[in-house]
Amino acid sequence: MQPFALNYARPAVELEATTPYVYDTGLQLNVTMDGRIAAGDSALLRELGTTTSTAGSKTHFDD
Amino acid sequence: MTVLILTCEEDVTADMVVVHLNASGVPVVRLDPADLPGAVALSGEYVHGAFRGHLQSAGRLVSISGLRSIWVRRPGTPATRAPDPSDWLTEESSQALYGMLRGSDARWMNHPDAARRARHKPWQLRLAQRCGLPVPATLITSFPQAAREFAERYPDLVVKPVSGAHPQDPPRAVPTSRVAPDTDFSAVAFGPTLLQRRVAKRADIRLTVVGERMLAARKTAGEADEVDVRFASPDVPWQATEVPPRVATAVAAYLRGAELAYGAFDFAEDADGTWWFLECNQSGQFGFVEVETGQPIARAVADWLASPGTEPSSHVNGASGTVR
Repeated sequence: MQPFALNYARPAVELEATTPYVYDTGLQLNVTMDGRIAAGDSALLRELGTTTSTAGSKTHFDD
Repeated sequence: MTVLILTCEEDVTADMVVVHLNASGVPVVRLDPADLPGAVALSGEYVHGAFRGHLQSAGRLVSISGLRSIWVRRPGTPATRAPDPSDWLTEESSQALYGMLRGSDARWMNHPDAARRARHKPWQLRLAQRCGLPVPATLITSFPQAAREFAERYPDLVVKPVSGAHPQDPPRAVPTSRVAPDTDFSAVAFGPTLLQRRVAKRADIRLTVVGERMLAARKTAGEADEVDVRFASPDVPWQATEVPPRVATAVAAYLRGAELAYGAFDFAEDADGTWWFLECNQSGQFGFVEVETGQPIARAVADWLASPGTEPSSHVNGASGTVR
């Protein structure tokens, strides 16, 4: 009784549970452990994949 | 006037926009509806024919009448982090928050009503057709025989979820996948199935539109079996590209018709250079494109959020609505 499309499903790849930055409510931004703005570190964002089109798929429809 | 951003704390893509707004001196309040009630509080009164409302988050208090724009990015479900969450409390909190915000004069990116409608991929396909965008032959059906006949007409097919959502119990991903010619379509009866003629693509296109600004990126396609760019090799980079004028005109019509201020369009570029419409994600990710191409998408979003509003829009079949 499995819907056709689920014949093509793969196990979900979970993102790392921990990220090397934390939200700062004062700045309203995520900052790295050494105090830098995470969004300003392109290499970090690329490495973590937190801005990619599959990053929000678990809880959001929109990629 | 303040920009209100509704999103979760870990949303670093929103951070990219907040950085630009901060640099421009534009006041920002960022909150996650999941924290209402609790870290987020609200109050609104309707007295003597007028409304006065306020939101509070992390020590910031903002008047709802003082909002210039509202960006609905990745908001959590209201009240899910409340001390004693329940479906009832979620509905109460959602109605209070979004109900008050809907009554404001702020401009939305994107309005919840327009966003909800725009998530329907079958609706997207029809709107794209009406706007003159090439759409690959598509069938959505729960009739196995219809699927078989479609496969005879279009032997090279892909399948993908109608909703774009991924099942969570257990967590699985359902990428766009090729369908073998000898496939048994019996299971089509167990759920509406979206089959689409596979575009033999030479590249994937992500066109991010912010207001009237269009920023396109192109990624050369890999192996034919890997049809879903989200799951393709990250080794091939996204590169900025130009938008063909005919596509730009059709995309602008699409966004007007959908009443969207933001849209992330996915196209497949075939060997002739034609851009085939696949979908438009009304809140699609853009950070990965900006990181790879250097395109100023976050700045464009910040500029749109910070700019003064124009005429009020109808938001889904209102009195002056343009969408049928």
